[in-house]
Amino acid sequence: MTDKDVIVAEGVVKTYDDSGVPVHAVRGIDYTLSKGEFTAIIGPSGSGKTTFLNVLAGLDTPTEGKVWLSGKLISDMSGRELSDFRRDHIGFIFQAYNLFPVLTVEENVEYVMLLQGVPPEERHERVLSILEKVGIAEYAGRLPMQLSGGQQQRVAVARAMVSRPSLVIADEPTANLDSKTSGALLDMMRQLNEDTGMTFLFSTHDEIVMRRARKIVIIRDGKIDGKASSEEIQ
Amino acid sequence: MFIRLVKFAWKIIWRNFRRTVITGLAVGLGLGSLLFTDALMQGMSAHMINATTESWMGDAQIHRDGFLDTRNINLVIKRPDSTLSMLEQDSTVSFYTPRILSPASATSTTELKPVTLIGVDIETDPEVTMLKTAINSGYYLSGDSTELIIGYKLADDLNAGLGDVIVITVAQAGSGLSSGMFFVSGICRFGSDDLDRYSAFINLSAAGRLLGIPGEIHEIAVRFPQAEMGADTSLGFWHRFSVFGNTALGWPELAPQVGSMLSMIDISMTIMAAILFGLVVFGIVNSLFMSVFERMYEFGVMKAVGTRTGTISIMVILEAFWIAVISTVIGCAIGLLIIWITTRTGISFGEIEVTGIIFDKPLYPVLKLSRLWLYPLFTLILTTAAGIYPGIHAGRLNPAEAMRKSL
Repeated sequence: MTDKDVIVAEGVVKTYDDSGVPVHAVRGIDYTLSKGEFTAIIGPSGSGKTTFLNVLAGLDTPTEGKVWLSGKLISDMSGRELSDFRRDHIGFIFQAYNLFPVLTVEENVEYVMLLQGVPPEERHERVLSILEKVGIAEYAGRLPMQLSGGQQQRVAVARAMVSRPSLVIADEPTANLDSKTSGALLDMMRQLNEDTGMTFLFSTHDEIVMRRARKIVIIRDGKIDGKASSEEIQ
Repeated sequence: MFIRLVKFAWKIIWRNFRRTVITGLAVGLGLGSLLFTDALMQGMSAHMINATTESWMGDAQIHRDGFLDTRNINLVIKRPDSTLSMLEQDSTVSFYTPRILSPASATSTTELKPVTLIGVDIETDPEVTMLKTAINSGYYLSGDSTELIIGYKLADDLNAGLGDVIVITVAQAGSGLSSGMFFVSGICRFGSDDLDRYSAFINLSAAGRLLGIPGEIHEIAVRFPQAEMGADTSLGFWHRFSVFGNTALGWPELAPQVGSMLSMIDISMTIMAAILFGLVVFGIVNSLFMSVFERMYEFGVMKAVGTRTGTISIMVILEAFWIAVISTVIGCAIGLLIIWITTRTGISFGEIEVTGIIFDKPLYPVLKLSRLWLYPLFTLILTTAAGIYPGIHAGRLNPAEAMRKSL
C-alpha cells in the first residue's frame, strides 16, 4: 500500500445468508484505487457491484478479506468508528438521490458538516460555494421535491463533496436520470474531479458514465473480470 | 446539533400529516377522557364526602369512649361544658353542635317503626347540618318541646303527615320506658336512607327530659374550615379533644364505607390510567415503527453519511416527544372542554344510591389542579419513552441492509 492509494482491498469475500441459502455476492476481490481516479465499476445486474462498493465504503463488513481506506484498516473497525470514518472520509451519491425531503437544499448539503461539528459560519460559506460549483445556488432554500431529478442529484453531489472527503462513492448515480441530464451531471463531476483532485468511484450500467470514466473495472459473478480505460471499452 | 435534531424531528412528524394527527388525536382522546373521568370521580367523591359530612355528620364528632360501639345512652360525654368551651376557643373549629341520640320507636295511629331519636340544639345545628334546609314541608324546630321532624320515607312508612301525632318511646337512662307525644312539624329529605327513613328529630332539651338525662349530651358534631381536615390525622384537634374519657374521630372513621368507596375510586382511577397509558405506549410504538419501516432507506443513508447510532435513536425519540407534545395539548384541550361544559350542565345519574348516599342531583366534575399537570406529564413522559424502542431499532440498522431491504 502506498500513499497514493485511497482504497486497497485484499481477498474480499461477501456471502449473504438468504433464508438459509448462502449467496456469494463477492468471491475474493483484490483491488486498489489510487488518489484522483475517476473510475467506474461496471457489470450486469446481480454481478456484485453494489455489494463490493458497500464493502469498500464500510457500509457492510466483508465475510473475508481486508479493506484499507486512506491507510486505515476499515474492515476491523467498530460500528461507531466506521460511522465517524465514513463521515470524515467518504462522500456518498445514491441512485435515488436520497436527500432528506423535509430539509432544504442548504440543510441537506450542510448535514454532514453538522455531524462533523463544523461552525455555522463556515458551514454556510462552504455550502454556498459547493452549490455554486454544482450550479444550483439559487435553489438553496428550496425543498428537494421542488427540484427536478437532475437538480436533486446535483444536490446529492454537493452533499457528498462539501465535507471534502478523500473518496466519493456513487452507486448508479444516473439510474433515474435521462441521458442529457446524466451527461451533464457526469461532466460536472468529472470537472470537480479535475479541479479538486477528489477520487470518484462509481457503479453503473450506464454507457454515458462509462464513456466519461477514466478507468473501468468489470465485475462478473462477484469477481473482477477485467480492467480497462474508457477508450478501450469504446 | 441537538437543537437541529429537535427541529428535524418536528419537520419529520409532519411528513405524514394524517398519521401524526390521528396518533395525536388517539393519545389526546385518551388523556382527555382520563382528565374528564378523574374530574367526574373527584366530583363523585366530593359529593359523597359532602353528603356525608355537610348533611348531618359534620367533619368530626366527639363521643364518650365506647358510645359508638354500644349506643348505650348512659355513655354521655364527660365534662360537656368544658368540652364545648374548648371547642368555642379552638382555632381549627368553625362550628359545632351538641346532640342526644337514642334508639326509639315511633308510633303513628297505624304503624310502629324503629328510629334513632335525635335531640337537636336549634341554635347551633343550622351551622353544622342541613336539617333546616332539608325540610320539604312544614317548618324547622322552634324550641317547642312537642315539635318533631321526620324524613319523607319515615312519614310514608308511618302514614303520617304534617300535624299528625307521633308517640316516641325510649328506654330511659336509669331504667324503664319513657314516652312522649309529638306533632309532626316538618318533613325533611336528605337523600340518605338513614336520615330519611330511620331518624326522628326533636329539640335537645326535650330529648334530655324524655331520656332522663337533662343537661347531658351524647355527641358533638364539629365542622372545620375544610372537610378534608376531617381526614387529616396529623391535626392536633384529635389529641386535644380525645380527653376526659371522650374520643374525637374524623369522618373517614365515622363513615368507613365512604372512606372505602373513595379508596376504591382512587384504585379504579389508577387502574384506568395504567390501562390507558399502556394503550398509549403501544399505539405510539406501533406508529413510530410504521414510520421507521417506511424510512428504512433514509435511515440507511443517514448512517451511510456518518450519523451515529445514538443520534438516529435520539431523533426518533424526539419525534415521539413532539407527538407527545401535540397529544398532550389535544388531550388537555379535549378534557378541559368537556369538563368546562359538564361543570355548567352537570351530569344526571337519575337517582342511584351508593353506600346509602343518593345521587339524585346532577353531578358536577371537580378538576384537581394536581391532575392537570400530573396526567399530561405522564402522557408526555410515557409517549416520549415509547420512542426508545423504535429509536434503538432505527439506530441499529445496518446501512447497507437498510438500503437493500427498502429498494
